[in-house]
Amino acid sequence: MSTPVLEARDVSMVFGGLKALKGVTLTLDEGKIVGLIGPNGAGKTTFFNCLTGLYTPTTGQVLLKGNVLPGDPAQVTDAGVARTFQNIRLFPSMTVLENVMVGRHVRMKQGPLASLFHGPAYHRGEKAARDRSRELLAFVGLNNLDDELSRNLPYGDQRRLEIARALATDPAVLLLDEPTAGMNPQETEATQQLIFRIRETGVSVVVIEHDIKFIFGLCDSVSVLVQGELLVEGSPEVVRADPRVVEAYLGKPPEEVEHEIEAAKGEQA
Amino acid sequence: MSTSTVSTPAATAPVEKRSALAPLGKPFAVAGGVLGIVAALLPWVTFSLNDGNWPDKSTLQFFDAPFAVTGFRWHVLLLGVLVLVAAFAPVPSRGRVVRALGWGLTIVSFVNAAYITVKGGGLAAITALDGATAFGSVVGLIAGVLAILAGYGIGIEPVGEWKFKVSTPVAYLVLLVSFGAVLYAVAAMLTTGGVGASNPYAGAIFLSFLGFAGGVLGALSGVGFVRWLSALSEQHRVFSVIVLAACALLLPFTDAGNEYWMTVAANIGIYAATAIGLNIVVGLAGLLDLGYVAFMGIGALVAANFSGAATAHFGITLPFPVAAVVAAIVAGIFGAIVGSPTLRVRGDYLAIVTLAFGEIFTRSAQNNIGGITNGSNAIPGIPPLSLFGAEFNKSISIGAVKLPAGVLYYVLIVLLVAATMAVFANLKFSRIGRAWIAIREDEDAARAMGIRTGKMKILAFLIGATLAGLAGAVFAHKNGTVSYESFKFLESVTLLAAVILGGMGSIPGAVLGAALLFVLPEKLRDFEDYRLMIFGLALILIMRFRPVGLIPDAHRRAEMIERADENAEEAHVEAKKA
Repeated sequence: MSTPVLEARDVSMVFGGLKALKGVTLTLDEGKIVGLIGPNGAGKTTFFNCLTGLYTPTTGQVLLKGNVLPGDPAQVTDAGVARTFQNIRLFPSMTVLENVMVGRHVRMKQGPLASLFHGPAYHRGEKAARDRSRELLAFVGLNNLDDELSRNLPYGDQRRLEIARALATDPAVLLLDEPTAGMNPQETEATQQLIFRIRETGVSVVVIEHDIKFIFGLCDSVSVLVQGELLVEGSPEVVRADPRVVEAYLGKPPEEVEHEIEAAKGEQA
Repeated sequence: MSTSTVSTPAATAPVEKRSALAPLGKPFAVAGGVLGIVAALLPWVTFSLNDGNWPDKSTLQFFDAPFAVTGFRWHVLLLGVLVLVAAFAPVPSRGRVVRALGWGLTIVSFVNAAYITVKGGGLAAITALDGATAFGSVVGLIAGVLAILAGYGIGIEPVGEWKFKVSTPVAYLVLLVSFGAVLYAVAAMLTTGGVGASNPYAGAIFLSFLGFAGGVLGALSGVGFVRWLSALSEQHRVFSVIVLAACALLLPFTDAGNEYWMTVAANIGIYAATAIGLNIVVGLAGLLDLGYVAFMGIGALVAANFSGAATAHFGITLPFPVAAVVAAIVAGIFGAIVGSPTLRVRGDYLAIVTLAFGEIFTRSAQNNIGGITNGSNAIPGIPPLSLFGAEFNKSISIGAVKLPAGVLYYVLIVLLVAATMAVFANLKFSRIGRAWIAIREDEDAARAMGIRTGKMKILAFLIGATLAGLAGAVFAHKNGTVSYESFKFLESVTLLAAVILGGMGSIPGAVLGAALLFVLPEKLRDFEDYRLMIFGLALILIMRFRPVGLIPDAHRRAEMIERADENAEEAHVEAKKA
């Protein structure tokens, strides 16, 4: 492969005296799904915020297709990195369609003058944005809900809407922050299928998740973050077999946890 | 989906209350309606009051023609009939309709009763005296309360939703008739009770009319008509705007066509235009601005100094259109300057920053800092506008029709309001408008969607301030004097109240809010000392019972907008072919 689509080189983040990230490196090749796991407080979300421009790393850099990402979320999105949030953050009193159309913001040409005087170009642009948004809504499986206020959607649909909104920015990389939090097994399964389909469209994906089973079934490669450091990186098989991961992630495994892991293995197999 | 509703038993308390009243719903409604009609046909006052007879021949001695009902008695009669109609006709969400009508009855009866009692020096004025009875207001009150209770008994269901579509000509007709009715209501509202102090009962007549109008509007809204109409006007936006503007331009030909009301209406228009500008900042972008009137002040000052007034400072006189544009631009620049700190501050802190800016403006203007405001001497003698030799503050006649003085200002201001509305509406349904709303809803998520929030916020301030500056320029010429006194904190707060009262993000809301806030003081001269207190009380009540505002931003139906877009697209393609 040539240059990876997203690359974090030696990213460290220091808040006052707290070292939240210590030289984390992550490589995402085009068309791959990378999982990021780790116990609570391991620095996953901090790392995510470094990738999305919300934080500027204290040292190290983040590159998108070989270019250093700007330190501003809006510009990062413009460059081609889209994200969803751990606790859903839609625009609650906008409709489903409008939410996705906000995602088209960076890809629309419409300036202040066109917005002020609705000429033919405005109408063409709006129609194109609407069509693309509808397409994406159909892609994530939210048909015929255009005029519904997003806050009225059921939880699972809100998650999918957030993904559609992120996809509307035409990203090269999609960052999903706990996409299956609070979902039942069927919804989790559907989300997995959705992420596979997203990969098929040529978008590379980074996923943070607590559900190990979900991550191992989904990702091409998994990185384990513990106390701000990258503990292990590799294919799901490698990571799963690593005793350090089990220990760091779950502590000394009591009987039940072992059973659970066995069960997870069984399902994977 | 039809209008049928599934009544879901909500919390336990209301259900119990409803079940107690439920069997009484219909009987109460019928009784309320009948009593309302009876009340209209009864005398309301037992003796002649000191300030003259109570209007509409409702005083006992003059009660010679009980069936010739006029004024408030006509309103009571109409409300009574409507309650009866609602009780029997198959109307959607009947409970809401009956309740709203009941409130109308109650308010009309209460306002009249209270005034009569106060002016008549005691309860004797409204009830029995020496064997003569005048129970009109008592019966009216009972009717109102019964109807309200009936509303709860029938059950407060969700507002009816009308899904049926109408063909374009029918839609046009509906819109024409509806806006015509609005014009009539506005003219009636302005003129009821006459001008200021000419009628001692002006305040009562006005408030009573407000109660009636509110009741009917509440019923229409409850039945789903208002929602349907707003969706319809959204669908035929261009037509609606044209009809609305035409209606507004017809106002001088109604009873309200005299100099006094032209002036009041023009002032309302100026504040309405400013309120719409503020609505961009507060309603769309969600940035609380407590010093907004300063931009209007800046516009007014700039225009005043270019106007050729004797005390103007710039030494050059610009024609009004040029001066107005310059005023708008200068105000816009200040808007952008004030907007810049908003990159760093949010919410409450932003409100403080804008508050401080407003204060800086007022104090600088008061002390003539910069030397262009004349401080407390103000800039008087700003010449009125004129067009083709017709001075805007003189009366004009078109053919045989003589129009009152100030009518040209009124027309100019209607056009200004229409232009402001167009700017607001177009921006709202655009990439920029969506970005503003996204920022209002969740700023971090908006940034994650690629919206340059800083740029967008400054743009909101800039455009809002530009509109205010434009309104200020008209204000300067209309009033002839520009003084810092007109642009103090209270005005900013009143404008903000107008926006919030009317409904944030809604254009008709902003206009209605501005109209109410600037007409009410005119109409409530009776109260003088209590005016602001009543005003405050009314605000509290409205915010408690209708926090979304009087005319909330009707959520647009995307499909309708889309149809408009496609039509425009087709028209464009066809135009190219031709």
